[in-house]
Formats: sequence, structure tokens, C-alpha cells
Amino acid sequence: MKKVLIVDDQPTMRQIMRLALWSKFEIQEAGDAYTANELIKVSRPDAIVLDVMMPGDMDGYQLCERIKKDPELASIYIVLVAACGQVEDQEKGMALGANAYFVKPFSPLELMCHLTSAMLIDAPG
Amino acid sequence: MNNMNDFISHEVLKASWIHSTCGIVAIDVSGNVSSANPAFASCTDIEINTVIGMSEADFNHTLLNAQVLDFRRVELLVDGFRAIYQIRLDSGSISQISPTAKLSHVAELLREPLASIYGFTELLLTQNYDEDTRIGLTTALFEQVEVMSNLINEQLDVRKVNY
Repeated sequence: MKKVLIVDDQPTMRQIMRLALWSKFEIQEAGDAYTANELIKVSRPDAIVLDVMMPGDMDGYQLCERIKKDPELASIYIVLVAACGQVEDQEKGMALGANAYFVKPFSPLELMCHLTSAMLIDAPG
Repeated sequence: MNNMNDFISHEVLKASWIHSTCGIVAIDVSGNVSSANPAFASCTDIEINTVIGMSEADFNHTLLNAQVLDFRRVELLVDGFRAIYQIRLDSGSISQISPTAKLSHVAELLREPLASIYGFTELLLTQNYDEDTRIGLTTALFEQVEVMSNLINEQLDVRKVNY
């Protein structure tokens, strides 16, 4: 089963995504980018659902950039989720290497379908 | 404190609370302001003792009246707290921000609880959960409706905010 790391500072959003994804993926969770960064090194998830705006020194954009610049981690599929719906926000996320960008509010089941499809296409096996 | 990790965690949190340049306010499980760190006063020009014990809705109202716009609500479900508010040192005022930026900021604030409402509703409509889970999700859904209602009342009251 593919591993998906959910990174969001809001427990309710983590709960929603966990409920939508648990039947298809092995789920891990982190409440901030720093914790996620440490977890990624150990668990090597296949995909990360990453909230853009999080408290602390590192936001979702910065973590995305760090992952995509690391040759050992760059293949991890990253879905950014954000309350920022402006075109420039989405373009910034994609420019940093994100594979997809979901604007809140979004359908958790659509996220599940997207990841299911992406994992089959981008990370066979 | 049971071990060294607890001690370090406690000391780190204490130092962060005291020395942070970001204003931090804690909301307890009953929905009232329980504490504010020293930076809160310098970030907002609001005296700490005036907000302690205040309801979250009144606190939101106080921030708005003080023209503090650049704050973030972080939901907590642990340790007797419901949420914390983070307020930046250069939080700025409504009068200094363009109407477009104001609307964009309010839209971002509203998208957070709306995302939870959308998600919980879709899951409840499409998945077969047992009764306990269904009640838990419905309760969480109701709480997010309350959060959204408070945000609309405080952020989109045209009598207070002139777009």
C-alpha cells in the first residue's frame, strides 16, 4: 500500500483527509512543516498532501521546495492544498515543483481519486 | 513532568511564549481567552488584562476594532485549549490595506472552515459510518459552522468595515 503523508496544522482537515484516504493508502500525519520534514526522511512517503499556510518557521511552499531540490526525495508526489486561490499562488506552488494544487474548499473524494490516479501513473508498483 | 523530554518541551514552550515577537493568545475549551503572551500587547496596543476571560467572538471584535487584521487562528484539540491566535508584529491596520487585499484576506479566512464543512458533509453523504462516528463528524461539522458564522459576523459586518 502506498504511503501518503498529510501535513496540515488544522486537526479537522487532517481528519477529513485521513477519512477520505485511509482505505486506499497508508496514512501518516504531521501538524507542521518541521515535523513533516523529519518524518519524510525516515518514512519516505510516496505522496504528500501539504497545506501551504502553517505556523512556524517553514510553510508549505518552503517544505515543497526543499523536498523537490533533494535528489533523494524529489520523486515524492506533492499535492499543495491552500486557502490562497489566486492564480499567482498556484503558479508559485507549481514553480516550486508541486505536482498538483487544490484550493480550499475542495472535495476530499476528488483528492482521493486524484492521488489514486497519480500513484498509478507516476509511481507504478 | 515525567521525563527529560517533558521538561525540555515545557521549557521550550515557555521560552517561545515569553520571547516570541509574535503575539499569541490562547482560547480555552469553553471558548474564552485564557492567556496572552507579552508580545500580544506590543503587536496590538491592546492591554492583556482587558482580553483575559473574553469570549472568542468578543475577542475577534476587539481585534477588529483595534484594526488588527493580520492574525491567524490555529485550532487545537489538546491540553484544555480550543485554539490559539497568532498576531504578527507588523500586523498593520485595515485602513492601510487595499480593498482588494482586504477581500482576499477575508476569503482566505473563510475558506478554512468552509473546507472542513465541505469535507465533513461530503464524507457523511457518501460513506457508511457507524452511529458514533456519524455523531462525531456531525459535531465537528457544527463547530466549523460556528467558526464560519463568527468570522462572517466579525469580518464582513459592513457597519464596521468599509469596503
